[in-house]
Amino acid sequence: MNKRIKDNMVFWLFLAPALFSFLVVVIIPFFMGLYYSMTDWTAVAGLEPNWVGLENYKEMFSNLAFRYSFVRTFLFSMLSVITINLVALFFAFLVTREIRFRNFYRAGFFIPNLIGGLVLGYIWQFIFKEVVPAIGGLLGISYIENLLLLANPNLTLMGLIMAFTWQYAGYIMMIYVAALLNVPQELLEASDIDGANFWQKLRNITIPMIAQAFTITSFLTLVNSFKQYDIIVALTAGGPTDIYKGQVVNSTELLAVHIYNIAFKYNRMAEGQARAIVFFLVLSVVSIAQVYYNKQKEIEM
Amino acid sequence: MKRNLVFLLILTLLVVMIAGCSQPATQDETVVIYQNKVEIHEQLTAFAAAYKEATGKEVIVKTSGGDSPYAEALRAEFQSDRQPDIFVIEGMGGYNTWESKLQPYEGDEWIDLTTLEFIVDGKIIGFPVAVEAWGMAYNVDLLEQAGVDPSTLTSQEAYRAAFEKIDSMKDELGISSVVAMAAGPDMRWVTGLHNFNGYLSAGLPYGDTTVLDKLNNGEADMQRLTEYADWVELLFEYADRTVLLTGNYDSQVSQFGTGKAVFIHQGNWIDPWLQENGVDFPMAFAPHASVKGTHEKIFIGAPSFYVLNNESKNQEAARNFLNFMATDPAGHNYMVTEANMVPAFTNVTLTPAAPLSANVTEWLAKDAAYTWLQNDMPDGFGMGTIAPIYEAFAKGDIDKAQFIEQLAAKIDEIK
Repeated sequence: MNKRIKDNMVFWLFLAPALFSFLVVVIIPFFMGLYYSMTDWTAVAGLEPNWVGLENYKEMFSNLAFRYSFVRTFLFSMLSVITINLVALFFAFLVTREIRFRNFYRAGFFIPNLIGGLVLGYIWQFIFKEVVPAIGGLLGISYIENLLLLANPNLTLMGLIMAFTWQYAGYIMMIYVAALLNVPQELLEASDIDGANFWQKLRNITIPMIAQAFTITSFLTLVNSFKQYDIIVALTAGGPTDIYKGQVVNSTELLAVHIYNIAFKYNRMAEGQARAIVFFLVLSVVSIAQVYYNKQKEIEM
Repeated sequence: MKRNLVFLLILTLLVVMIAGCSQPATQDETVVIYQNKVEIHEQLTAFAAAYKEATGKEVIVKTSGGDSPYAEALRAEFQSDRQPDIFVIEGMGGYNTWESKLQPYEGDEWIDLTTLEFIVDGKIIGFPVAVEAWGMAYNVDLLEQAGVDPSTLTSQEAYRAAFEKIDSMKDELGISSVVAMAAGPDMRWVTGLHNFNGYLSAGLPYGDTTVLDKLNNGEADMQRLTEYADWVELLFEYADRTVLLTGNYDSQVSQFGTGKAVFIHQGNWIDPWLQENGVDFPMAFAPHASVKGTHEKIFIGAPSFYVLNNESKNQEAARNFLNFMATDPAGHNYMVTEANMVPAFTNVTLTPAAPLSANVTEWLAKDAAYTWLQNDMPDGFGMGTIAPIYEAFAKGDIDKAQFIEQLAAKIDEIK
């Protein structure tokens, strides 16, 4: 037996545990899911699923609630990515300047990220239901006092974005902070001597130098916005209702919530699985495209 | 040779990993009851301990929390090797899901003591865990102060007149609205299940499922639906807008509990909340006037049933345990005094301490019950499909005609 085969064997032997786990918890369930999405499976023990082909997929695309949910999820994700990154970048600039207590601020901005989404959802529900009207009352503005924020579909979406930004911006800020600290000081000093102002430095030096951070932060915020579930459940429970093409729909029932509801509330597991597969595909395409695009903007030192 | 050895090694590794996942076989005579009421877990466990002392048979109580997660947890329990001997289903929906796993009761003592057992095709499937009921719960003092006699509240006309009168006395009574009603995203069970049950069963004899059967065949009873929409409109009209649109359970019950509303659209399950918060004014139920005509009954039923697992090896022991609960004074004491439930059994003489539950026993004694059919609709129909339509109606996004039309359209989709 020659050495190469032996090396090969050692290689695979050491890989086996990881490969096995990956196979068991990712690959096999994925293909099982693919199979179940083409059946009428309901997860009842002892009932054999029947093959229905692409029926579940057809049903899904003709389903108004699903299409609405899709549009809303895109809207939510795009807006969240923008607000989270803007807020995070702004905070990152603040806490990398020479100010007092900057470590305190860093910790402070980061802390909301340590609060679970469910708890955070209830906190914000309290704010929107109790605190906002109370502030309106104090200021004597009856519009704000009587504003039922969580009964208005668009305001509620804004509220969700606000709560999510509050939770996630601190984490993203940390990534930006790390990137900003790695921007070579000599470049900034050189540009100072050349008489560049703040915006010129930002546009021509800082932003290109932290392009790598943009790749990762956009990816994280995009994927996490798409998958948002717990804050929604606690803050809005999918409501309030909206009217879409003459039908009553749930305005904040974003895809993850929608899939859960179909699978567990309606007990239509296979349809939920089909939606989850489409969700996976869309999310993969969007995030790969985003990473590919951002990678091209990165520069090597 | 060496190569084979390596393969053998990998193979052993895999076998060990797989074997590590399996469980030892289930044990002896212990009965496992898997139930969904977190609030009675301790009391039931204590009762099981008392049962062990009395009979020497062990009963293990397992509980999975809250409202919705139970169904999923139970599914997981069945997929694993830890199948319970007794578990809980909630009406037809649960029956359809678990049909292949259920063992009917036969000749058990408790069967003759109740009218609320769960029966399918003549087979007795479920042991009623407790009785619950809802109607228009009212604050006796406030209603008296407003000069409205609750015994007259039996029709939509009477309710409208009473609501108008009470509404005109708002300041005098110190209320913010006549009814504490909620139709927001957190409260979809109130509208989509409880209120809609009025459409399914109000005014019909107990056990009549004609309207439900039509619904399950995708047919709406337009006459009833139109009359029913008037009732919904009436409730929404005299409700507090904040509680109606964004309120949760706490805000709805506290509006009633603090005397800011005369009526509340809830059932006797609000008793513990009211007691915990020191609410002590007298209260009782009036009927829902869900459709036209005179109504002298409230919605009484058993929300959940203990059922037997047909693969269980301890069926005899499990049935003995349930019989003991229904027939022995210790069981009655557990149900009424400890767990604060209204038992479904006629041999129970204890009366619950809480006002609404005590009132339910009076209605039950009069046999004044409309059927609970809200759990027999297709999965998710009540809370998922139609409840948002109520919310849109409450907000004014759609008018009454559209409300009726959309409900009918959703019923039509069931086909």
